[in-house]
Amino acid sequence: MRLAIGAYTATSAAGVGLQALQDSIDNRQSGLRRNDLQNCDIDTWIGRVDGVEDVSLPSHLNHLFSRNNQLAWFGLQQDGLLQSIAQLADRVGPDRVGVIMGTSTSSIGRTEEAFTCLLPSGQIAEDYQQPEVHSLHSPGFFVAEATGLTGPAITISTACSSSAKVFASAYRWINHGLVDAVLVGGVDSLCMSILFGFNSLELVSPELCRPFDHRRDGINIGEGCGYALVAREDLLPDAQFALLGYGESVDAYHMSHPHPQGEGAVIAMDRALERSGLAADSIDYVNLHGTASQANDRTEALALARRFTGRTLVSSTKAWTGHALGAAGILEAIITLEAMRSGINPGTLNCGQPDPELAFPVLIDNVSRPVRFGMTNSFGFGGNNASLIFGQMND
Amino acid sequence: MTDVDVVGLGVWSESFSNWEEFCHVLGGGSAETGRTLKPQAIAPNERRRAPLSVKMAVEVMDQACRMAALEPATVATVFASALGDMHITEYMCRTLADAPQAISPTRFHNSVHNAATGYWSIATQSHCPSSAVSGYSNSVSMAILDGAIQAVEEQIPVLVTVQEVATAPAFKSVYEWNQPFSAAMLLSPVGMCSSNIASLRLNASGNLVEPPQPVPIPGVELSGNPAARLLPLLIAIAEQRNADMQLPLSRGSSLAISIAAGCRARQSES
Repeated sequence: MRLAIGAYTATSAAGVGLQALQDSIDNRQSGLRRNDLQNCDIDTWIGRVDGVEDVSLPSHLNHLFSRNNQLAWFGLQQDGLLQSIAQLADRVGPDRVGVIMGTSTSSIGRTEEAFTCLLPSGQIAEDYQQPEVHSLHSPGFFVAEATGLTGPAITISTACSSSAKVFASAYRWINHGLVDAVLVGGVDSLCMSILFGFNSLELVSPELCRPFDHRRDGINIGEGCGYALVAREDLLPDAQFALLGYGESVDAYHMSHPHPQGEGAVIAMDRALERSGLAADSIDYVNLHGTASQANDRTEALALARRFTGRTLVSSTKAWTGHALGAAGILEAIITLEAMRSGINPGTLNCGQPDPELAFPVLIDNVSRPVRFGMTNSFGFGGNNASLIFGQMND
Repeated sequence: MTDVDVVGLGVWSESFSNWEEFCHVLGGGSAETGRTLKPQAIAPNERRRAPLSVKMAVEVMDQACRMAALEPATVATVFASALGDMHITEYMCRTLADAPQAISPTRFHNSVHNAATGYWSIATQSHCPSSAVSGYSNSVSMAILDGAIQAVEEQIPVLVTVQEVATAPAFKSVYEWNQPFSAAMLLSPVGMCSSNIASLRLNASGNLVEPPQPVPIPGVELSGNPAARLLPLLIAIAEQRNADMQLPLSRGSSLAISIAAGCRARQSES
């Protein structure tokens, strides 16, 4: 089965909506800025989405208030997505459309705030007594409420592979006949847990992140959200793209270091290739996990070298968006789809001195070349990996 | 409609520490409290670093694989919890409020929702697909459904773990349960394994159902714990009887579960 991909949209530091994202990529304009968050003096760069804090939720969703849900709501407004969802729900019934969201930290930013003003008893004060919001399911619950979709709803939280895995679950649900369509998505927002957490692991860079550069010294944290409406082929006759394959694996190596030979990454890519029925050389473009950490870029290059030749163009777009963690999977799936639509293969921004020690060369400058088959990699803590392969629907 | 076999089970709470003790408590036996945990599946050095939430999950996952006599490295995993490890969340948020630079890197990487399945994969050297999910109060029904569909679609046994730790102190004004509970069910495509303990038939629909009433077990206090929504199913399996139940999946859908008790006897391993 091919899973048809209907409407999709992305919001990140590199742009609100698809046109702004494409403009940033075409103009090689990073969305990253020096860390300007209040109460956070970490010397780094961040990918902040302007105006999230000013987003108002509809009044019936106010009990779900959090920055993460503000960002989720902001993202839902873009590119006519809500209209596309409503049209499909009208045709098949809202209970025949599932919701699968990915997130790393859900609405923990709201929980952090609650702890700055606990009751004298040490417990969470009334304004913050929001049972669903402190749950990992906050994004899935919110998006279901916000869209009126009433099918099965779940949130996947496997660190930085979360919103790549949403496609795999959606594929299974639809192929199984559980639902006719699924709104998949991912959302993660800037919060203190992540900034100070990654800082404690000495993984954040004081510079603009430099993926695959020999001077690379860590990641820049970003925020973002993205959505795609996926369905059986017959329900989306105008769909341009399809999910052809997915691969999920774990490293079984370490909680926060990737496998030194990229073993889990190779398994995830192999499983995606096997399901798609494609040879590695057929893949025209791979959007890499490419975080700009020493270990990720080294091991991902090793994994690529075990399967790909120089025919396949590969790049990291993290210096445009920052690392959006649980939202990275969907953001980069959408960047891959946009490369397939436009024929512009994004290069690797801010890789001024490519690391000659790496086992596989990355594309530096944007290149115009048709992308028939595109792939994206997402790897997370706990050694959790996912790879996705997309193709043209009329192929 | 989705049919799967249940081929292994694991349970842990402060009142029972494995399936045998769970059955004993159901049969009117005494429920001891204050159980400690020392899962043998993870190496001592990893065990020292692992939080209680990880130890609970790994313990029940190991129990389920042992009952099924299945090699752990051959099964996919789905871990489900409404809140994840609230105690680590509380630690993170308190530290961030007081001295954010003091965050422990180990506790930070243990804070990911997939920590338990991460430790499990390292302990068992499994590269099989592994997921960690939440459906808030519907985490149990969503995990059973998602895991069963994965078992059928991918033709692989799927180890579904549901658990909730005790409510952390600061969250007591928001959540009402006081006891931790963890359970694992190893779901297998029908007939793939040589024996089964029960079989499940799942039907999702747009019907609305009320959340189930807590099932009282004498001497065991798990009411309100979202993972305890699995108890009626576990009790039916323990009592080797057929049963039907309905659980909400979302605000507009529900899952009907038909449990058929032990339809195939355990085959000789010889």
